[in-house]
Amino acid sequence: MNNLTDRQLLKELKERLEYGKKNDKEIRELTVELQNVSKKLKDSEALKSHFISNISNEIVNPFTSILGLSKVILSVEKHDWKKVVSMVALIHSEAFNLDFQLKNIFVAAKIEAGEIAPNVAKVNIRTLLQNVMDSFNIISRKMGITFDVQFNIEHGFGKNFYFKTDSEKLKLILSNLINNALKYSYKDSKVILSVWLDDEDVLKLSVQDFGTGISEKNQQTIFQRFKRLDTGINSINRGHGLGLSITKALLDVISGQIEISSVKGEGSTFTISVPESKNIVDGFSGEGNDIFFDEEDEIF
Amino acid sequence: MNYYLQHFLYPSSLFVSKEPYLVKTILGSCVAVCMWDSKLKIGGINHFMLPNWNGNDLASPKYGNIAIEKLIDKMLFLGSKHEDLQAKLFGGGEMMDSGAGRIMIGERNIRVARLMLEERKIPVMASSTGGKRGRKIIFFTDTGEVRHKLLDKTTR
Repeated sequence: MNNLTDRQLLKELKERLEYGKKNDKEIRELTVELQNVSKKLKDSEALKSHFISNISNEIVNPFTSILGLSKVILSVEKHDWKKVVSMVALIHSEAFNLDFQLKNIFVAAKIEAGEIAPNVAKVNIRTLLQNVMDSFNIISRKMGITFDVQFNIEHGFGKNFYFKTDSEKLKLILSNLINNALKYSYKDSKVILSVWLDDEDVLKLSVQDFGTGISEKNQQTIFQRFKRLDTGINSINRGHGLGLSITKALLDVISGQIEISSVKGEGSTFTISVPESKNIVDGFSGEGNDIFFDEEDEIF
Repeated sequence: MNYYLQHFLYPSSLFVSKEPYLVKTILGSCVAVCMWDSKLKIGGINHFMLPNWNGNDLASPKYGNIAIEKLIDKMLFLGSKHEDLQAKLFGGGEMMDSGAGRIMIGERNIRVARLMLEERKIPVMASSTGGKRGRKIIFFTDTGEVRHKLLDKTTR
């Protein structure tokens, strides 16, 4: 190193300078990234506290109605029995809503705790769809919204079509999509539910509404947790903003995907794709007793 | 050996137990951190797919920074002391031939794990990471032993 010529020295200096520059650039990039992350975390924290105040409303309000209504029912005179029917209907819809919200919250907690795993069985898709629709029957009737089901799967045993997937998760996914469709629909319209298989035998389910629609900018953010598009104090829509992030996380578990197409003012279509589960992960049997001890096992 | 309870660990989940368990999982570009308490002889394992939580999705153990944090939390919850914890690190292969692409999920997953463990002063006793092949591992929560096998690409 002692006998460097000028040229070599120059070259060496140049290289070091370049190297320094490169590092500098990298540091600057990292700083920007860090700033982004910290901003995101701040936003997330704000959303979370918003969520907590939101969620207590979601739980307290239905309970108050249920308690109040049942108290009124208890003191109704016999000849006034007709009043009871409408009150019971109200109680049911409040309780249904509460049940639905709680299910979502518990599933979210499970996902965040890493305690969720696919539970695969043969699922009768038509029955599952029917069950989910039935559960929203009262609400949809109240809003004058009809379900239009387009079941475009021909093969299967008679009318039944079986598909290997996780029925509970698929149910909650569908419930969330239908709940959203109803929530953002106008009165006296319809919701179209279509089911079909694509060329690769991937199950496709779409839920289309003709409601408020979602602008292109907002389509990016709706899957974020706690995000709701109209979070103003006068918002008529209820909910905690967890629905779609749960939907997405659940789809992850069953290797599904979701797409959205929507035009502001004309309605939205959410389409999910669910591949048939092979009961395996990454090409290997997930369940079963095939503990694979091999001679080749390395031991750490 | 036959008396072990078994658990198959799915991606984005984690598992910690006081009882002796045999936990198996399959890793591609995912990374699993096996954590073991040398005093209490209990262990836990996670299986994460992506390095860092983006702040948008649910804060699930799909993301390395969250999965590792939660794994440590759960170990401490079961009575482990921080200084008794040891870790073993597996996975993070580059499964997709993206050439010199900038994705490098496996690489980034491993880096997050190593950084976080180093920061928390949890020693990494053994590891098998990187490469181009998937891995199958079996973790014994009572002994901390891990059986490991590289998988042929064709079986994927």
